[in-house]
Amino acid sequence: MDEIVNELQAVPWPVVAPIIIIQFLLMVIALIDCLRRGGETKGPQWVWILVIVFGGIFGPIIYFLFGRRND
Amino acid sequence: MRQWIILFKKEVKESIRNFKWIWIPVVFILLGLTQPVVSYYLPDLLEQFGGLPEGAAAAFPVPTGSQVLAETLGQFSQIGLLVLVLAFMGAVAGERNNGTNIMILVKPVSYASYISAKWAHMVLLALVSFTAGFIFSVYYTFLLIESVPAAHIIQGALVYGLWLTFVVTVVLTLSTIIKSPAAVAFLTFGVTITLSLMSSLLPEIMTWSPGMLSSHSHSFFMNGYGNEGFWLSLMCTILMIAVMLSLAIYVFRKKEMAVHTT
Amino acid sequence: MSLIKTDNLTKTFNGTNAVDGINLNIREGACTALLGPNGAGKTTTLNLLTGLMNPTKGKISFDKRYSGDRRKYLGYLPQYPKFYGWMTGIEYVVYAGELGGLTASEARTRAEELLNLVGLTDAGKKRISGYSGGMKQRLGIAQALVHNPKLIILDEPVSALDPIGRREVLELMKRLKETTSILFSTHVLHDAEQISDDIYIIQDGRVVINGGLEELQKKYQQPTVHIETEENLEEWSMSLESAPWVRHLKAEKQKLTVTAESIEDARNALLTDERLRQLKLNKFEIEKTSLEDLFMEVTK
Repeated sequence: MDEIVNELQAVPWPVVAPIIIIQFLLMVIALIDCLRRGGETKGPQWVWILVIVFGGIFGPIIYFLFGRRND
Repeated sequence: MRQWIILFKKEVKESIRNFKWIWIPVVFILLGLTQPVVSYYLPDLLEQFGGLPEGAAAAFPVPTGSQVLAETLGQFSQIGLLVLVLAFMGAVAGERNNGTNIMILVKPVSYASYISAKWAHMVLLALVSFTAGFIFSVYYTFLLIESVPAAHIIQGALVYGLWLTFVVTVVLTLSTIIKSPAAVAFLTFGVTITLSLMSSLLPEIMTWSPGMLSSHSHSFFMNGYGNEGFWLSLMCTILMIAVMLSLAIYVFRKKEMAVHTT
Repeated sequence: MSLIKTDNLTKTFNGTNAVDGINLNIREGACTALLGPNGAGKTTTLNLLTGLMNPTKGKISFDKRYSGDRRKYLGYLPQYPKFYGWMTGIEYVVYAGELGGLTASEARTRAEELLNLVGLTDAGKKRISGYSGGMKQRLGIAQALVHNPKLIILDEPVSALDPIGRREVLELMKRLKETTSILFSTHVLHDAEQISDDIYIIQDGRVVINGGLEELQKKYQQPTVHIETEENLEEWSMSLESAPWVRHLKAEKQKLTVTAESIEDARNALLTDERLRQLKLNKFEIEKTSLEDLFMEVTK
């Protein structure tokens, strides 16, 4: 337990936090887009939601590039 | 000119609506932020988790500021370019395949404006994304590692911006010639990878190549001037961009917009 | 006054002539129909007129009073109009208007006016991706009209629509022809007869028949006699084939349809025919046809 706390404290949060925030932002934008489109995605919407949320930095990118039907 | 602006504004509006103007800059910012952080903490991380023998971590010293900036450009050249090319591969082909261009081109619209407005929008989006990402990268590099002369950074960034413009122009031109967006992307990667590889393997005979521009920009970061042959490759690149753009317009004019079906 | 004239207009695809020496003369102020079965070359002809395709041979000349880029004076609606789904209806019409040379404020006023005309005032604020087929067709007409063209060209404007959408669009076209010249293609004779002044019937890339609607109707309207009997009349019908008043006949078991030169001769000849009486007449009907038979015949 102590070890984990130590390691967490060792993480340079002021430096890493912006990265996490921006990555989160990207995910949120992708989610908004995906949900707003309703069924207008290529393939089932719920799959894309999983991709966006659990795909790390590449999840939202892959969604934006390949998940959307052109209109 | 007025018509050109109308066409250009439509491109911008479209990319705002489909979030391209948000997500592509955000991806570049993320890449720009991550690289200095990784470079700075890599030796630490290796020491802690790498299970390396004592002293091996010393083989991974914290790089200099200009090295980190060059590494950032490396990220842009991989993931960044991948994103740009895939996002733009259907620029012309897409509208032709779904037929939306027909109703636009029966209006008194100049084909040259139609293509060049698309090109300008793609270039603008690419350069704005690159600039945004690079600003964050520079800030973190200064914060974590060391500062690099501003003039060096700006010159290097301009040179790299030209390389991005070149790649975007390749996408646009191929997208005018080829119907399939996937083939457009594939060929663009083929062209850029070949140019980059050839330029690093055979620098002597590839001095003219746009693929040399990234290494010139690295040199600008480090020294404030480009490598030998910089001006040649700069001029060649600008020339090739102009030629490709004219070719795209020429091909587009020659093509019949309506597709014969029955 | 003719707006567009074509001279020996020809378009070849892989060695076959989709359009084969067509001469059109589109009058200003008239509604002209290109009528023909699918694959006759109507769409190709229209594509040549709009400049979306280049003719293999032949010439298109536009009224000399309107100089420069022909597209300035043309509005066009393709058979399957494809819009930017991310735009709203009004945005699209404004965009089309600005591309057509209107200023931003002119385009705005004109777009509102036209959306009102085609009945899309409220829907105009919604994204086009949610529009029905009929709405898209009406939006398509609005965008074709926005820059005040001299001629609007509509490719099968009603064929993809359900009966209600069809009636809406035809009604709209009736109103439009008061103010604009219209050229439209269709494969349905009835649509052409309802609204057009001039008709070109096209088959295999050639004009088979053309002229004013009334003139054609007068010329080709033929009295037709429908006969039904108890017994098989095929054998008897053979004897009619050589009769001078018969233009065309078709017999099938107990049914016979005869197209006659003159209705008097036909009536006299048939009603005095002893053998017809023996076949036990069930039905004797005289009908004046529309252009239907003509259309069927030339496009056979």
